[in-house]
Amino acid sequence: MMDSIEASPLYPIANPKSIALFGASNNASSMGTSLLDSILDLGYEGEIYPIHLKENQVQNLKAYRTVLDLPKAPDLALIVLPTRLVSETMDACGRKGIKHAIVISGGFKEVGGNGIKLEKDLVAVAKKYGMRFLGPNCIGVANPRQKLNTTFMTFEGGPGFIGMASQSGSFVTQMFTYLSDYGLGFSTAFSVGNEANIDIVDCMEYLGACPETKVIALYIEGIRKGRAFVEMARSIVPKKPIVAFYIGGSEAGSRAGLSHTGALAGPDRLYEGIFRQSGIIRARSIMEMFDYCWSLGSLPKSMGRRVLIQTHSGGPGAEAADACGRVGLELPPLSPETIKRIRPLVPQTGSISNPVDFTFAKNVTDYFSEVPKALLEEKNADCLLFYFFTPSRRLTRMLRQAGVSPDRIAEHTAKLVNFQSEEILRLIKTHDKSFVGYTFQGVTDPLLKRLVERGVPIFTGPERAARAIEATYRYTCLRDKILASASQKEAASR
Amino acid sequence: MKKKTHADDLISFGLNKGQRALSEYESKQLLRLYDIPVTREELSHSADEAVSIAEDLGFPVVLKACSPELMHKSDRGGIELNLRSEGDVREAYGRIIQGIDLELDGVLVQEMVLGQRELVLGLNRDSQFGPCVMLGIGGIMTEVFQDTVFRMAPFDMIEAKDMTEELRFKAILGAFRGQKPVDMDVLCRTLITVGQIGLELEAVSELDINPMIITPEGRAVAADALVVLRRDAT
Repeated sequence: MMDSIEASPLYPIANPKSIALFGASNNASSMGTSLLDSILDLGYEGEIYPIHLKENQVQNLKAYRTVLDLPKAPDLALIVLPTRLVSETMDACGRKGIKHAIVISGGFKEVGGNGIKLEKDLVAVAKKYGMRFLGPNCIGVANPRQKLNTTFMTFEGGPGFIGMASQSGSFVTQMFTYLSDYGLGFSTAFSVGNEANIDIVDCMEYLGACPETKVIALYIEGIRKGRAFVEMARSIVPKKPIVAFYIGGSEAGSRAGLSHTGALAGPDRLYEGIFRQSGIIRARSIMEMFDYCWSLGSLPKSMGRRVLIQTHSGGPGAEAADACGRVGLELPPLSPETIKRIRPLVPQTGSISNPVDFTFAKNVTDYFSEVPKALLEEKNADCLLFYFFTPSRRLTRMLRQAGVSPDRIAEHTAKLVNFQSEEILRLIKTHDKSFVGYTFQGVTDPLLKRLVERGVPIFTGPERAARAIEATYRYTCLRDKILASASQKEAASR
Repeated sequence: MKKKTHADDLISFGLNKGQRALSEYESKQLLRLYDIPVTREELSHSADEAVSIAEDLGFPVVLKACSPELMHKSDRGGIELNLRSEGDVREAYGRIIQGIDLELDGVLVQEMVLGQRELVLGLNRDSQFGPCVMLGIGGIMTEVFQDTVFRMAPFDMIEAKDMTEELRFKAILGAFRGQKPVDMDVLCRTLITVGQIGLELEAVSELDINPMIITPEGRAVAADALVVLRRDAT
């Protein structure tokens, strides 16, 4: 591992103070122009030097004829030029003393034929000048805290705690709004492209050291440096979780070995084992990967698998219990102390077991304060899975029935939502157990929106919630396995 | 490194004869060098010799056609199980010699290890991860159950134990219908050793131990093995 994040070749790439941009012009339809527009749109605060053969100004920025004309060597070169021009441009950057680059341009190894040679040339040029670069054939980096977005898609949302390295650029850019809807976002996201120089293992190292990254997400189509990958992951996992989504490809005919082992070693099974050995949690889909990031980045870092469910409706509680059971979570019985505490709060029609089913609340506030408090203090459990069903129209009706005058209903609703969310947030803050919500409402509901914005994981449906809880338990097990292995190794070497 | 030298000799011997693989007998000699528990066995070249070996081993025994060209014997009638007497051995010897139209190294006479639980252990080389070790539910149902897990070599006992935990049908490793749990220590050490073979012996391209039989007492014994050679490695 590196001593500090500044030692990573990705540090100047994700945090450049100045950028030379090749490929932007005043032609609105060019990719380079669109990319410059995205950078300006997010309000990048460093210097931008467009390089253009003919123009004096590119989108109101002073342009330079060649990189050699720049007043100083910028931290980063961003190259979005036709393939044939990329190597010579890198060479000019090298002569200028630029040490880092992102090559967005495609047409290299991924197209085969002459592209393979062009990529080799590019690698050789970088090597000559000791340059490190991301790409080619990538969309670069998004680091919203630095207001840097080198992708040609507009950045929407805010910064978050998910550090991503992706072998598909789309899973960087096209996730911006999806994540933002759930109060999530990227700390830094890298599109790695062809990994000709900087690869996914370098990205893992950077994200492992990045203080804003609480959890690392990987989209993987194939791992190239297998041994380095496993070692890097195992060095990071004791500190932060890594989640991966891997497209396994076809199992059929993937190997033609003479042994059973050879025949059975399809890539999907092999990667399954490699991920487990690496301490990486594998997700079944991109959405599940971000579900896992949500729970792993929000919940306490050590977790058992004993879950209590709180509901006020039988069906949703039963489905949650079923979902927990399917993924291997346990539903412990309540201790006599907890039963004693909540008995007076739960109506006769309700059920004081696990799930705790209110049916309806004698006092609405009990559902959001006293009962979850008692359940979070239950010594036999590690996590509270909490059902949210709070349609605002129902609240309005209740207030009307309670005699609140129509012109004050909105104010009262807001107050109630505020009370409920503050109660939940206070409980989460003052207890070291995990709190996870599930609902069938959208997160646009005022209460849910408030909670989600403040970092509470609330999933659509109990299955997603149960799987996300299980991922945190799995992380705890994988991390402990790696720690045990490391301490055994240390003991043996003494 | 004495075992590596012996193993290299075994492999060179096979490669020099133009073999694509080691015979079962040779494969198990290699495993034995690495302290992997294998069946007690000797190679016979006549019915008389087979009978004498069987008497030394104790009945029942198994007879197997032995040749590096025979990679999947049970498909070719090359295995005679549960032979309980001199007569059984003589008849079986005759059937094997008659049935296989291939020049044999001999007929392997092997102790009959009894056990209903069968595992497969193996080594595979991946272009990105290098030598990888497999553990799975073995025997004739290997391809049916497809319950296999992999690890990149090398790994430690904790990781080997985790491999066994990852099997869907891991319950068969525990106490099972009056049978004792598998000797986990030996199983895990064997997994590690298979990886070590991959790291030390470049010329081994693939390796199968199938089946590794778990006896009712929980002993794990390699009942069949195949070492596939990589001709370009030496």
